[in-house]
Amino acid sequence: MRNFLLAALAGVAIAAPASAQTTTRDIEVIGRALGFMEGVSGSDRVVAIVYDGATEAEAQELAAALDGGLSAGRVTLTGRLVPTSEVASISGAHAAVLLGGAAADASVANAVNANGAMSVSTDLSCVESGGCVMGVQSAPSVRILVNRGNAEAASVSFAAAFAMMIEEV
Amino acid sequence: MTLRNTLLGISAIAVSAAFGAQASAQSLDYQSLSGLFGEPVTAGATGAPQRASDVPATMIIITQDDIRDAPEYDIPGILRHYAGVDSDRYMFGQGEVSIRGYNQAYAPRLLVLVNGRQVYLDHYGYTNWSAIPVQLNEIQQIEIVKGPQSALYGFNAVSGVVNIITRNPQFGEYMTGQVNVGDGGYQDASAVLGYQFSDTASLRASIGISQSNQFDAGPFGDIPGATTTENYVADLDFERFTAAAELRARVGTATDVSFEVTYSEVDSAEMFPLFFAGGSQNELYSLKGEVVSDTDFGIITARAYHNNLDVGYTTDDSLNYDDVALENEVTVFQLQDIFKVGRANTFRLGFEWRENVMTSTPDQTNGDVSYTVTAFSGMWNRQLNSDWSLTVAGRYDQLELQREGAVDPFYLYTQADYDRSIEEFSYNASLAWKVDQMSTLRLSAGRGVQAPTLIELGFTLSSAVNTPFGLMNVPFEGNPNIDPTIIDSYEIAYDRQLSPNMTLRTALFHVETSDIKGFFGSTPDWIDPTSMPPLGFTFSNQGDSSMTGFEASLEGESGPWDWYTGYTYLNVEDDLSVNQAGVTHPIMPETSTPEHRFNANLTWTGERWSAGGFFNYVSDTTMPREFAFGLPSSVDVDAFSSLSFRTGYKISENAEIALTGQNVNYGDSQAVTSGPAVETRYWLTLRASR
Repeated sequence: MRNFLLAALAGVAIAAPASAQTTTRDIEVIGRALGFMEGVSGSDRVVAIVYDGATEAEAQELAAALDGGLSAGRVTLTGRLVPTSEVASISGAHAAVLLGGAAADASVANAVNANGAMSVSTDLSCVESGGCVMGVQSAPSVRILVNRGNAEAASVSFAAAFAMMIEEV
Repeated sequence: MTLRNTLLGISAIAVSAAFGAQASAQSLDYQSLSGLFGEPVTAGATGAPQRASDVPATMIIITQDDIRDAPEYDIPGILRHYAGVDSDRYMFGQGEVSIRGYNQAYAPRLLVLVNGRQVYLDHYGYTNWSAIPVQLNEIQQIEIVKGPQSALYGFNAVSGVVNIITRNPQFGEYMTGQVNVGDGGYQDASAVLGYQFSDTASLRASIGISQSNQFDAGPFGDIPGATTTENYVADLDFERFTAAAELRARVGTATDVSFEVTYSEVDSAEMFPLFFAGGSQNELYSLKGEVVSDTDFGIITARAYHNNLDVGYTTDDSLNYDDVALENEVTVFQLQDIFKVGRANTFRLGFEWRENVMTSTPDQTNGDVSYTVTAFSGMWNRQLNSDWSLTVAGRYDQLELQREGAVDPFYLYTQADYDRSIEEFSYNASLAWKVDQMSTLRLSAGRGVQAPTLIELGFTLSSAVNTPFGLMNVPFEGNPNIDPTIIDSYEIAYDRQLSPNMTLRTALFHVETSDIKGFFGSTPDWIDPTSMPPLGFTFSNQGDSSMTGFEASLEGESGPWDWYTGYTYLNVEDDLSVNQAGVTHPIMPETSTPEHRFNANLTWTGERWSAGGFFNYVSDTTMPREFAFGLPSSVDVDAFSSLSFRTGYKISENAEIALTGQNVNYGDSQAVTSGPAVETRYWLTLRASR
C-alpha cells in the first residue's frame, strides 16, 4: 500500500509540458472535432490558418500537410493561408486555426467568429481568457477545451455526446 | 404483455421521438470519437459518453484488433486474457465468466448486454455465452466494467457488466466472411454485413453456425467421479446457430431509430450450477426497438425489447429434453435522458419497467411464476475543477412477485406466498483526481443487488428420496421468501500513462457479499414429522462472504509489437450457514476462487504476417462437484498454465489465413475446473473482408 501511494505521488512530479507549436497532429484533432460541429453537412471542411510574421513558416508547414486534403475521421480537411491582416476575408472557412501572436490578439479571434468560422488555437489561454471558441492539445494526451460563451457568440454548437466529453469554460 | 403490445409500444416511442427531435447527433460514433481522443470511448460506466480515461470505474475495453488477434473462438475465451476477469472453461461451448472471483457453472454475478439489450438469462441468472447472437467479426468493442453497477443497469450487475457493442453501419460499411476448421470436429462459418441503403438508412446482419465435439480426453470425457450416464451426456456435441438483423434509420438530423431481431439455437452438454453434467437445448429469439434523439433536453433514449427463451434440460441418456423444460419471457421498456447543465454537470435520469415470466417447471402444473420491476435511476457527474470530478448514481427498484395458478398442496409454499414485494436501493459513488495529465487516482464505492431468479423463487419438483421416514417423494422447490444477495464494494484505483504507448492500471478493492443465494443440498431445509411429506428441500440464503484483492495490468505497443500483462490477487473468506460439517451444498467461493491469476501476451503485426503468443496461469482451487444428484462434494484442481498462439498471413489486402493453437501445452487432458478436462485444440481460419 505504501509503495502504491508513493507511486501515485511520483506521478505528481512528472507533469508533461504543453505543446507550443501547432502540429499536423493538432490539425488532425481539430479536423476530427469539426466532424461533431452542428449545422454543417457533407464531409469537406475548410480550415483557415491565420498567421503573423513570426509564424509564417509554421503556417506554410501546416498548409503543406493539408495540401490535397487531409482525412480526419468523418471529414476531409483542406487548408487556406490567411495573414492576420486579411482575417476579415475569412468567410467560407469552417474553422480558423490561430497561430502564435494571432491567438494572443482577441480582435483576431473576434473577427474570425464574426465571419462565421470557429476560432481554434493550441494556446489554451486564448480559450480561457481570450476570444477563441476551441482550444486543442494533441500531446501528451488529447485535450479539447471549449469556451461556451464564445461558442454561443459565434453561433457554434456541437453534438451533445461530443460536448459531454470535452472541457468547457 | 403480448408480443403485439410490445411492438405497438416500440412504434409509439419511435413516432413520438421522431416528432420531438431537434438539433443533431445521434448514436455514439465509437470509431470517430476514439480516433479523435486517441483512446476508446464508452457509455458503459455511467450511461453518459466518456473517454476511457475519464470513467469513474475500473474498465477494460477490448477492441476489434484485440478480438481478431486472440487465439479464441468465443467471448469467454477472449476475456480470460485480462486482469480481474475469471473466465473458466467447463465445456467446449460453456465458458463461465465472473469479475474478481466467485465464478461458477452458470455464473450469476456478471450482467451481459449486447447494444443495451440484456442477454443475461433471468430465469436461472446466468449468461449462455454461446447463445449470444453476435459474431466476433461484427463486434466494435467489448466493455468490461468492474464492480457493482446496479445503479445504472439494475439487478444482477453485481461483480460487473460486459457490454458488447457491435459495429454501426451508419458510420461505415463492412462485410466479412470467416471459416474455421479444426480438430475435435470443430467447424465454424460466419458472415457479417454492414450495409448503407442511403445516407440515412443502414442494415447490420450476421449469421453463424458452428459445431464441435466436446473435450473427450478420457473414455467418457474424464469428469471426476462421473457415472457412465453422466459422461454420456457430458460428451454431447456442441451445435450453435445464430442470426441477427438490425435496421437503422436516421430521422431528420437528430434522431436514430433502429429495430433488431435475433435468433439463436444452441444444443450442448453443460455443467449445471449443481456441478453435475447434463445436456441442454436452447432456442432464443429477441425483438428490440430503440430511438436515440439529440434534443434540446439532452440525449433521450427509448428502448423496448422482448427476449424469449425455450430451454430443455436432460441428465440421462434418454435425452428427453422435455423432462425439465421451461419458457422464459422478458419484456423491458427503458427511458433515459442524459443532459448537461452548465459547464460542469452531466445528469442522467432513467426509468425502467420489466416483466419476467417463467412457466411452471419442471412440474408444469403449478402456475407461471412472474415478477414485474419498476425502477427509477439517476446519475450526477460534476467536474469540480480541472483536476477533480465526482460521480454519484442511485437506483430504486421495486419488484412485485406473483404466481398465476394454484400450487399443488404437496409443496410447502402456496400461491399466496408468492404475493411479495422486494424493494432495493443501489448506488455508485466515485471521486476521481487527475494527478496530472497522465495519471488518475480514483476512490469508489458501490452497492449492487442480485435478485432472486425465477428458478430460485418458483421451481417445483417432486422426486423420490430415501428419508428417515422411508423412500418417498419429497418436494424440491423454489423459495418465494428468499432475499436478494447484496454486494458492497470499495475500491481505490490508480491509472498512469507511463509513456505515450504504455499504460499502467492498478486497483485495490474489498467486496462484501451478504445473503448469498444457493441451491438445496444433501440435507433437508425443513422437517415436520407431522406433515406429509415430512421434509423438503428449498433454495435458500446461505450466508456471507468477503473478498479483498488487488489487480494490476501493464500494456503497451511499440512499432509492430503489442503487449499486455496482468496479475490478479483475490483472497475470499466465507461465512456460510451451510457446509459447516462437510460439503452439503454446492457452494464454496473461498476455495473455488483462485488466489492468483496471471496473463501475458505479445503480438506482432507485419505487412503480411502476424503472430501472437498468449500465456495464462491460474493457481489451485477446490471446486464443488455433485457426484450424483443431491450429493455434493468437492474436487481439487491443481494450478495450471496455458500457452496459446495465433499466426496469420495476409493472402491479399482483404483475405487472411491463420493457424491458431489453443492451450497447446494441455495435450489430451488438463483439469481446469471440476468439470471435464480440457484439451489442446488447433484450427485453421480463412477470413475475407472488405
